Amino acid sequence: MYTLLIVQLAVSGALMGMVYALIAYGFQLTFATSKSINFGQGELVMLSAFFSLSLIDSGLPYWLVVPGGMLFGAVLGLFVERAAVRLSLEQKGEGWILLTIILGLLGFSAAENIWGRDDRPFPTPISSDPLHFFGIDVTPLELSVAIGVLAVMGLVELFKRKTLLGKAFEAVSADRDAAQLMGISATRTIQLSYGLSGLVAALAGILVAPITTVGPTMASVLILKAFSVAVVAGLDSGFGIVLVGLFLGALESLTSFYLGSGWREAPGLILLILALAVRPNGVFGKASIRKV
Amino acid sequence: MWKRLLLIRGAELAALALLAAIPLMVDNSYVLGLLTLLAIYGILLIGLDVTVGYLGQVNLAQAAFLGLGAYAAGLSVAHFDFGMLAALATALVVGLIFGTLLAFPALRLEGPQFALATLSFSALSATTLNEWEGLTLGAQGLQVSRPSFLGMTLDAPEFFWLCLLLLALVWMAMRNLLSSQWGRAFEALRDSPIATDAMGVGTYRHKVAGFALASGLGGLAGGLYAFNFQYLQPQSFGWDLMVILLLGVVLGGRKSLWGALVGASLIALLPNLLSNRGLFQIFSAIGLLIALAAGGQGLLKKTTRPFQALAPVVAMGILMVGSLIVENTEDWRKAIFALMLFSVVVGLPEGLMGFAARFLAKLFHIEPPRLPAPASLDTVLPKRIANGGALLELRGLERYFGGVKAVDGVSMTVQAGEIHGLIGPNGSGKSTAVNVISGLYVPTGGDMLLRGKSLPVGSLFKVARTGVARTFQNLQLFGELSAMDNVMVALKDVYRSPLPLVLLGLARGEEKRARAAALALLELVGLGDQARSLAKDLTYGDQRFLEIARALARKPELLILDEPAAGLAHPDVNKLMEIIKRIHERGVSIILIEHHMDVISELCGIVTVLDGGKIIAAGTAEQVKRDPKVIEAYLGVVDDPAGAAAPAQAG
Repeated sequence: MYTLLIVQLAVSGALMGMVYALIAYGFQLTFATSKSINFGQGELVMLSAFFSLSLIDSGLPYWLVVPGGMLFGAVLGLFVERAAVRLSLEQKGEGWILLTIILGLLGFSAAENIWGRDDRPFPTPISSDPLHFFGIDVTPLELSVAIGVLAVMGLVELFKRKTLLGKAFEAVSADRDAAQLMGISATRTIQLSYGLSGLVAALAGILVAPITTVGPTMASVLILKAFSVAVVAGLDSGFGIVLVGLFLGALESLTSFYLGSGWREAPGLILLILALAVRPNGVFGKASIRKV
Repeated sequence: MWKRLLLIRGAELAALALLAAIPLMVDNSYVLGLLTLLAIYGILLIGLDVTVGYLGQVNLAQAAFLGLGAYAAGLSVAHFDFGMLAALATALVVGLIFGTLLAFPALRLEGPQFALATLSFSALSATTLNEWEGLTLGAQGLQVSRPSFLGMTLDAPEFFWLCLLLLALVWMAMRNLLSSQWGRAFEALRDSPIATDAMGVGTYRHKVAGFALASGLGGLAGGLYAFNFQYLQPQSFGWDLMVILLLGVVLGGRKSLWGALVGASLIALLPNLLSNRGLFQIFSAIGLLIALAAGGQGLLKKTTRPFQALAPVVAMGILMVGSLIVENTEDWRKAIFALMLFSVVVGLPEGLMGFAARFLAKLFHIEPPRLPAPASLDTVLPKRIANGGALLELRGLERYFGGVKAVDGVSMTVQAGEIHGLIGPNGSGKSTAVNVISGLYVPTGGDMLLRGKSLPVGSLFKVARTGVARTFQNLQLFGELSAMDNVMVALKDVYRSPLPLVLLGLARGEEKRARAAALALLELVGLGDQARSLAKDLTYGDQRFLEIARALARKPELLILDEPAAGLAHPDVNKLMEIIKRIHERGVSIILIEHHMDVISELCGIVTVLDGGKIIAAGTAEQVKRDPKVIEAYLGVVDDPAGAAAPAQAG
């Protein structure tokens, strides 16, 4: 019975871990093209969830809310690229770290004042009555998260491999200067990557909102774990993030069972610092050669 | 000279005296509280500026160190009955220890990874302070009593003077430190970690020291914070405070003690500013005017891009409009911080003090300090007697990248006192060989001997310490440092004073000697009149020469020049050859990688030719030029080798 409880905890945790993986995937998209990530991505997740909630409140059916929310996220992603990233990339500086943090703060404050500081439930047509698999309970809601995550990641990867625009994306990721010499606009491609990143972040928000409820702080812990997943797996690790996401989700679920829920963030944070110390390119990442 | 010293020191003393005198003139506990907070934030921001300004890394852990220091001081009083000084020392040491612990994993990290590591550390420390209720009482908060100071009970004004005194001490110590070799090393490692190691300065040591110092000051400020408020809660040291601290450093101005003080005053006053609507309206109007003026000026002079000029105006415009519409500005405090920070980061990257310093220097005609007379070259680069014999021996050196054999079994000997040419077509393995010798790459196989002893492998730093110095094909100068500072960073055998003496300002003598030595080397390469120019502002040719002067500061036995003539105009090539001859006359052995055959022919007694990672020929320049294998490597297969021209300017 006890083993079953442990497995149950691990499975529920792992399914949540898929959300971290999805947000981490958003980091990978922009890191591939521009070597930059949005430190305010958590606020982007949260704002998209709030926006989707407003769409639901206005009476829109769920199947329209999802693309609507994702579109909103993509627009925010484009805004972040324009306002916070482009200038410092042109100057080859790291000002984007501060600037994306600043935009996140702005978004946080806006959400507090527009939608209020309280957590609100996020209605969903997907049932949360548990299904039983070999004695383990899994809700369709949790399953929808996993399916949604894998589906959108699969679609983006397909887009990168099968379309001309996607090939341009891959070319800029491989070598920005060479791609530019071949007539591919790096600026446009980086823009595209931020749009896509916003899109997947918004989906993460919509998927996780029914489980966590929606509030200004809903993403502040989520984002730390997404950072952990991205860094531990490696910012260029491809699907390695899914494995790390599953692992970290299970780990923190067990930690909160054994040590209390206040400590649930600790393993991810420790893993992140350790991973940076031991393998700065991540468990699944490639080491780069220093050139002079 | 005296005017400069008088004005700068005078301004510091005046500011200190003014701050100290306020409690005597104004009997107002609220004002006193603000002043105390200003002094505490001052110490905190001077620390944060070491990482954000000098090391150039986004440090998101300073608020956490403030918290750790505060709890350490508070708990040491509660549990061990420590006095004020002992408790403050505890706070400082706790900051230092945790800073060092975090610095070690964060060592190898740059940019976003470093920011993430510090972010995780803050989150971890917040979790611990919250959850370890047995020690910290968690979210309930911890009452702290203010201990006695050397037996005296301090009330508010006296405690403020203590904070101010500590701020003044920290100010002096940091001024001494940051204007010494330590400060230069911090900046060098921000601009090029590779070159910092290659100049034998030691990236790790300085990065750890800089970060630990910043954290220690954070801890000390935390101790004062605890005894000022006498009540601690974990959430006081969270993300909100961190953003405010960054605002302080960036707004005040990076790499500036005055900037930290200005920033500290601003963030101490911010809450007042936000709670008073009229004041806030005036403030945002001023902000908008500054943004308009700065942006307009930048656009007219075409020094800024349109985005850089317009974005702050838009942000400040939103702030202005918001201040008129919004009823309760407190609700929007985060957005207000964000808009202000955004405007400063984009539109005024040097901060208020960076801007003001230039203005004031012009206003008072403050001249930079005078340069000393250059030292004699005999002390800076003592003449070596070249006694012949093998200096550097490579035996079967190999370096593979995956399946690519970049260096594939190279054996060669560099005799002491010679200029040894290393040539070969692009991709023949010259640069890889040099990178292996100088320690950037670990060899896949083979041996390297310097004067018969094995050369350290895979560490630029260790190789630099053996007397091998190098320049870089793709320049690796410290762009934000002056030409003189670039050379001074690398100087060998000059900086001997231990850290405490440096902090006390008792290391000025060696600093003067270092300046004289650096000038001598700059004159050797013809840059004597450019000593004060920033490296990034020099012409391309002068940057190449500066790289050579910097390498010479290591007093090298063996100097490796990696394509020093690449991209140089003809007159500069001649100048370069003169410089190399002069260096050779001082008895320095040289490995010269070059594509210019005329340079090689004129300078090198012996030339080794690489192709495909292997040596294909060796001999005098004339011999190699006629070697059919060399001609084939450069020009392809030729039917009649005797008739082929020498590969002048190949590559």
